[in-house]
Amino acid sequence: MASHRPAVLTDQPYTDPNPLPSSVPHVDELGVTSAPLKSASFFIGQHCKEVNEDFMLCKQENRDPAHCLSEGRKVTRCAADVIGKIKESCLAEFDAHWQCLEKNNQYFQACRKPEKALNQCVFTKLNLTKKIPGSPEGHSQIHEKSSPIFTRVQK
Amino acid sequence: MPPPGGYEAIKYKRNLPVRGVGGAVVFSTVAAICAFGFWRVGKGNVEKRELKREQAWSRINLVPLLLAEQDRDAYRRQQAALAREKEIMKDYPGWEVNGAVIAFERNPSNIWKEAFADISGDPTGRKEYI
Repeated sequence: MASHRPAVLTDQPYTDPNPLPSSVPHVDELGVTSAPLKSASFFIGQHCKEVNEDFMLCKQENRDPAHCLSEGRKVTRCAADVIGKIKESCLAEFDAHWQCLEKNNQYFQACRKPEKALNQCVFTKLNLTKKIPGSPEGHSQIHEKSSPIFTRVQK
Repeated sequence: MPPPGGYEAIKYKRNLPVRGVGGAVVFSTVAAICAFGFWRVGKGNVEKRELKREQAWSRINLVPLLLAEQDRDAYRRQQAALAREKEIMKDYPGWEVNGAVIAFERNPSNIWKEAFADISGDPTGRKEYI
């Protein structure tokens, strides 16, 4: 053998040589790339507020990765739930928005049109709204602005 | 002698016909354009701040799930490393898995004191230790 590493056999399905111990319940990882995550981020933040805060408080207690595994599983399951629901009810709008983000350096300001459609759909079907905490009172939030100055670099 | 009817009048008056718009108009136009530009820059700055806020909160909303995934992976690697260590050191009696990296039998803060004591023959090592 030319290398000290074990052979990788591509004709067999990959098995993790060091899986999580069986004492830790299994949870499917999200397996979502950055653009769809960014597109769904505000809905995840709103829908999973409680579990997320619970997890972050737990992390504040102790930074040890073993300390907050159960809270972490709840967080991941909740996020997977939201993304699944969005895909179920607003697949076309979701795809349009995250693909727009993918093509525009993941700038929100470049994708207001598909975002508006997505927000509308998610609000009617799932009753989730995009809220940016700390936005100035009495003004429309940045994603609802009628004639923004910063849009796409290329018109 | 002067010609009959006298000499014609000497042309000394300036002849500068008014052409184009006046200075006040030019000045106020420039001022107006500048004012509009600065107003727009101001609006743009506010908007930039809000875009940053949007970006930050988008990330904040994702932090828990990214951290949870990372934690699971870190825990998995940690456990795998401990299992490896246990396997490698199984023939070494008294080996503590995940023990201290350096095992001092003595108090490390006394090490120089002890060294001086050895050299000077003074068991307290005070003389050199000052």
